[in-house]
Amino acid sequence: MQSVVLTAVARIFFTIILTGSVWILLRGHNEPGGGFIGGLFGAAAFATLALALGVETARRALLLHPVVLMGIGLFVAFASGVPGLITDASFLTHQWGSLAGIKLGTTIAFDLGVYFVVVGGVLSFMFRLFAEDAR
Amino acid sequence: MDISTVLLLGLLGSIALPFVATATGRFGGWIAALLPASLFVYFFGLTGQVGEAPIVDVVPWVPSLGIDLTFRLDGFSLLFALLITGIGAMVTLYASSYMERKPAFQRAQFLLYIFLFMTAMLATVTADNLVALFVFWEMTSLLSFLLVGFHGEDPKARRAALQSLLVTAGGGLALLAGIIMIGVEAGTFSLAAIVADPAPLIDSPLFPAIVACVFVGAFTKSAQAPFHFWLPNAMKAPTPASAYLHSATMVKLGVYLLARLDPVFGQVAWVGATMVAFGGATMLIAAVQAVRATEIKAVLAFSTVASLGTLVMLIGLDGPVASVAVVGFILAHALYKATLFFCAGMVIHATGTTQLNRLGGLARHLPVTAAATIIACFSMAGLPPFIGFISKEYLFEAKLASSFDAIVVAIGVLVNAVMVAIAGVLALRPFFGRARRPIRLINRETPGMTIGPVLLAVTGVAFGLMPSLVAHALIEPAAIAIHGEAFEVSFKLWHGLTPMLALSGLVVVLGATLAWYWDPIHVFLRRRRAFDELLTDRGYDRVLDGTLALARWSTRVLQNGDLRVYGAVIAASVTGLVAFGLLSGAGPLLPDVAEAPLRPYLVVVCALIIAGTIVAAIVPSLVSAIVAVGLSGYGLALVFLMNGGPDLALTQFSVETLFVVIVTAVLLRLPVVARSSRTEGERWTDGVIAAAFAACVFVAALWVAGKPFNPELTEWFAATSVPEAFGRNVVNVILVDFRALDTFGELAVVALAALAAWVLLRASGKTSRSARKET
Repeated sequence: MQSVVLTAVARIFFTIILTGSVWILLRGHNEPGGGFIGGLFGAAAFATLALALGVETARRALLLHPVVLMGIGLFVAFASGVPGLITDASFLTHQWGSLAGIKLGTTIAFDLGVYFVVVGGVLSFMFRLFAEDAR
Repeated sequence: MDISTVLLLGLLGSIALPFVATATGRFGGWIAALLPASLFVYFFGLTGQVGEAPIVDVVPWVPSLGIDLTFRLDGFSLLFALLITGIGAMVTLYASSYMERKPAFQRAQFLLYIFLFMTAMLATVTADNLVALFVFWEMTSLLSFLLVGFHGEDPKARRAALQSLLVTAGGGLALLAGIIMIGVEAGTFSLAAIVADPAPLIDSPLFPAIVACVFVGAFTKSAQAPFHFWLPNAMKAPTPASAYLHSATMVKLGVYLLARLDPVFGQVAWVGATMVAFGGATMLIAAVQAVRATEIKAVLAFSTVASLGTLVMLIGLDGPVASVAVVGFILAHALYKATLFFCAGMVIHATGTTQLNRLGGLARHLPVTAAATIIACFSMAGLPPFIGFISKEYLFEAKLASSFDAIVVAIGVLVNAVMVAIAGVLALRPFFGRARRPIRLINRETPGMTIGPVLLAVTGVAFGLMPSLVAHALIEPAAIAIHGEAFEVSFKLWHGLTPMLALSGLVVVLGATLAWYWDPIHVFLRRRRAFDELLTDRGYDRVLDGTLALARWSTRVLQNGDLRVYGAVIAASVTGLVAFGLLSGAGPLLPDVAEAPLRPYLVVVCALIIAGTIVAAIVPSLVSAIVAVGLSGYGLALVFLMNGGPDLALTQFSVETLFVVIVTAVLLRLPVVARSSRTEGERWTDGVIAAAFAACVFVAALWVAGKPFNPELTEWFAATSVPEAFGRNVVNVILVDFRALDTFGELAVVALAALAAWVLLRASGKTSRSARKET
């Protein structure tokens, strides 16, 4: 089921959706968005790639194994809670500071963890399903 | 140094020292023994101070739940701490010699378990907070599991380890329930506070439940009938562990707890009577089984069970003398029983034989062991001038002084006579009897293995000859600690001509007779198979098999692999619960529809959603069904979007999209038009469940909408989101900040679910590939 149009625009779509997903992730704290939705969009970006150019291309684009990505996500989310444990004696109490005039908090790290887990989780079995199909 | 600091140092030493010590080679055991020995010195140094007043060390832990790590060292705790560390040092030396030929890692592992166990025991007997005590209590159960199953390659050891864990940890659960009820009723988890003011507990309507739960916990740990069977089986543990855990220390924890709570429980007559009944039953069962046993360690194990029964009975008796008897017997029993286990281990180590009737004439080869055994056996038999004699005198005095019938004394005389017989047989037979076949010696005595039993045996004699050594320093504070109030404590060798002395004489005569006719009685009882049925772990097997059968049955019925059955069961259960909730509620509430204007776009969107569901339910083509379901999903997202839920809408859109993408991948391998595999009747059932489910959800939704909306949380989040969490998107702020721990838990669930799906898909891939190859 190869479509010339889809193949041609897949990489462009992939870039747009992935960038969009990161944007959704980052704006999440103040506008609609966040790690979960961003992660779903990120997974959709890779799904586009897998549908159009085959699952191997998508795998290579991801660089990491989806299960590894999931583990990294869990770790990042966990690690984002540790500063709170140290300063405020309570796990996951987020800490805030500012860098070059932009207010930053450990919430970003937590959301990034959510993002990774969702992308890795969805892709881990989606790649499997597509790979099954390819054989 | 504070007790908490010492325990922490002990823990660190427990982890580090075994590996350091085994790496140093031959004298590793002596180096390792420094840890328990220095702890012993520390606790010994506190003796004088504890005699004045208990030492308390408070460390906060979970103050919001009233749980702290308060360590409180009074006389009774100190007695245990000295026994734990003192015998611990002997066990360390003994084990290093016993396991000399094992690989270094295995030796280190064994010492690690022993040390960790020692630390957990020390923490248990010094913990004042019941919740903390429970945590340490369960740690000892876990370490006992690891030690019993130390030779995991032996299926019997594995079975015994699992059995001891299931029984003690299962009892631990009951204990936890009891502790929570105590905390709720007494308003505190502090043992000292509970004992100081027992009235709220005794007057509570939950008191019988509390007693029952604590009893189950203590009886399983201390191997009381009907849970006595695990202890003899636990003798699969390496002998040093048996000597330590299953004779001198861990199995006494149940007794420890009962004694601690005695100032509360002792005020209610039926509680004491229950303890006397269970203790007495345990003593009798253990006495019969001890005579029937053929292995040395089994004989010792049953005599331990009998001793534990004696202790439980003594705690159940009233009067201050019972407290003295409990303390004295704990001390005497630990000293002689650890010695006997050490000696039995030496005999097994030297000969490779565990059967009592195959041993004989070992006095020539193992002279030191023989001497230690004889001293310990005298103490066990309760002969003067050993400490066992003193403790037995007090035991009888407590029984005579209590308000219970003569039956308590009769059981005491009978079981102690069996103890005398066992002591006689153990002291004489392996060392002076004639072996049926010549015995080949595999190992010889080593200083590491004999120093422990000799020291303990000599201590027993010293305490017996000069009871003043311990009477004031150890026995008195301990007895007062468990009695709850101060009283005049006497602990002497010679009482004059008393009824107790006459009973002791009777016991010795009976015991000697029994020892003389040991073989015929042993064979007679051994042949009575009914005892196997009644007194061993058959009941445990039945319960375990029943549980497994129930699990298999429920798996077969509920997890039968048919997704549609799962769906039906879940939907039907939810429907039932919701319907129950609705029917038992206050009556239907209806939203005030008149106030809300009819919004035309909603009508259109809802029509779209309904159309989607109807199409999905009736079309035979899977692709059309997916598209139709997607239609409903997008419609729902639109509703969210227009009603102030942009986050929800965005999520819904992306989930719907991904769903179609994923399902496409699956569908490519399925026929486009699925042949319906459901029969007409099944379709009707599905339809009824679906309709009932929908109806319930509809009514519930109406009801919810009809309730006045409580805006408290909404307003709170809206007000605090920006100032406290610096975010304007309240949904996201709740997810990543206010309820971040929940989100983290959900993340873990998502990750695990994805991981499981990933693994399952690989498995199915393999089978389908191999299946394809075959065709």
